[in-house]
Amino acid sequence: MTKEERLKKRHRAEKRFRFYGLVSILVALLFVVILVQNIFSKGSSAFKKTVITTEIFFDQDLLEIQNGASQEEIMEADFYDVMIENLIKAYPAKDRAEEDELLKLFSGDAEIEIKKAFLKDNNLLGKTITLDLTASDDIDQLHKGNYPRDLPEERRRISDFQLVIYDYFVENKKISKNFNNYFFNNGDSRDPELAGIGGALVGSFYSILICLLLAFPVAFLASIYLEEFAPKNKITDFIEININNLAAVPSIVYGLLALQILLATIQLPRSTPLVAGITLALMTLPRIIIPCRASLKAVPPSIREGALAVGASKFQSVFHHVVPLALPGTLSGTIIGLAQALGETAPLILIGMVAFVVDIPSSPVDPSSSLPVQVYLWSESAERGFVEKTSATIMMLLSFLIVMNFIAVYLRQKFEKRWN
Amino acid sequence: MTNIKIKSKNLNVYYGDKQALFDVNLDLNEKEVTALIGPSGCGKSTFIRCINRMNDVIDICKVTGNIEMDGMNINDKDLDVVSLREKVGMVFQKPNPFPKSIYDNISYGPKIHGKGETKSELDQIVEKSLKKSALWEEVKDRLDEPGTSLSGGQQQRLCIARAISVNPEVILMDEPCSALDPIATAKIEELIDELKKTYTIVIVTHSMAQAVRVSQKTGFFHLGKLIEVGKTEKIFKNPDNKMTQDYITGRFG
Repeated sequence: MTKEERLKKRHRAEKRFRFYGLVSILVALLFVVILVQNIFSKGSSAFKKTVITTEIFFDQDLLEIQNGASQEEIMEADFYDVMIENLIKAYPAKDRAEEDELLKLFSGDAEIEIKKAFLKDNNLLGKTITLDLTASDDIDQLHKGNYPRDLPEERRRISDFQLVIYDYFVENKKISKNFNNYFFNNGDSRDPELAGIGGALVGSFYSILICLLLAFPVAFLASIYLEEFAPKNKITDFIEININNLAAVPSIVYGLLALQILLATIQLPRSTPLVAGITLALMTLPRIIIPCRASLKAVPPSIREGALAVGASKFQSVFHHVVPLALPGTLSGTIIGLAQALGETAPLILIGMVAFVVDIPSSPVDPSSSLPVQVYLWSESAERGFVEKTSATIMMLLSFLIVMNFIAVYLRQKFEKRWN
Repeated sequence: MTNIKIKSKNLNVYYGDKQALFDVNLDLNEKEVTALIGPSGCGKSTFIRCINRMNDVIDICKVTGNIEMDGMNINDKDLDVVSLREKVGMVFQKPNPFPKSIYDNISYGPKIHGKGETKSELDQIVEKSLKKSALWEEVKDRLDEPGTSLSGGQQQRLCIARAISVNPEVILMDEPCSALDPIATAKIEELIDELKKTYTIVIVTHSMAQAVRVSQKTGFFHLGKLIEVGKTEKIFKNPDNKMTQDYITGRFG
């Protein structure tokens, strides 16, 4: 082979390699685009809910309360009859059966929505107002175009007559889409139109907070001790190997551990963010220690020597010089560890966070759900409305992860000091 | 008659199973510059790191024998290394300023030793140290800037200023000019000449010319042994040992 041929061959090899790299990146990007597109197309409609504009007349005879009644009296008043009386007027129904079908177009919370409107403005007795009442899941999905109305009637959840009413609503512009506040404020529900991630959000928040409070100080101090103070011998080698092993242990094993120790032995309350936080902290601990140690190790020895040489004690050289330099890396490692913990599902399922929880937890010892578990729960539900809720929850989860990772990168770049 | 500041007697250093220094007996005179020369890995740096106990940092390092400063046993287990290093400053091969401001680089030492109680005292120490290290004129208007933003030679002078900020008695220099260009080197050498009026200086160097220029006494190390020590003039003009002769004339090393 001549020199020119060899040179050409080398250039060809490099070009080939660049091409492979480019193709790999494009394939990876394609998958990301497909994933994001899929989630967005399914989930974005969940942020809106369908409402039916209805006239409500607050009949004093039905409510059986006086003008200027106290909040307690209103709370106890029966709004059911008012609801029925007004909703059946939304469409000229002929008989009782038709009225029943008409009522089914509204959500199960119609009575509460009417009561809330009344509570807000104390002056409504004997008056008529227009209210946007949440539609039932079936109408919601139909209106969003997720429901095929050309199926034969016996395979539809919506009857032909209900379709007629729906078309009547559309024609009279009585049906519209509003911002779905229920999705953010409500807990879980059997009715998709009322189900929300409020409970899961609070549960995840408490869990991650407890995880942070437990895992960060322990991991931070452990890594400082191991990296700076511990003698390098067989025992510390053994500890190091085990930390690396623990970081690779499947998360479900931590779930089993928590089930046995935290729930069965210590008897902490089941399905609570407290237990979830402790479990996640156990799991996250080695995953934080590893980046913390790496960022301590990245501080050049010359900084330590410089400090020691002017007479700083070991403690001073570590805490005045090494730790401040390692802090950005430490923090970003912690945030990435927490982001992993936020998306963790398996151990939470084992400690009972799959429970159906309607109430939003008010403290870390209340039963609760969490975002990834909520995704798991809803993805198994048959109702069409839960499909979009599942994807929307994934969108929320992903946006939290992206924000956390962004903060991690920002911290590292902003505060990382350069040395030579 | 010059006083002996530091005296080592039968000093042996081991890194694990490997012996790095063999029975080194070396006296360092007060307010004089002693140069240590020899090929890489011969133990020069190991020797000066015994003087401020920097070898403590290395777990596997073991030191036996005697090394005394003004009659005080440096190798004593109960000795407080913090106060030893207050008396024995060190400048390293590569400039290693803290990634902090120029001011903080110098005020750090006095602060931890409680030498500057007030801001004005610290200001004075910083100014004095920078003037002594011939850096004051170049940096007096930008003391808030990071020390790492200076040039290599300036950084090394900053490190010297940092070393003298705690008012030591001895300054150890481990190849302080190996990362610097000739102009910066000349400035440091000039500085060493000035500093020896106040401090006892030990300098490790690979440059024979530098040893001749800055030192009054020279020790030649080879494979962990102190081969020959004497007045710099004598070592370079008329060494007793054949090996010293070969090394300084460039026949090996």
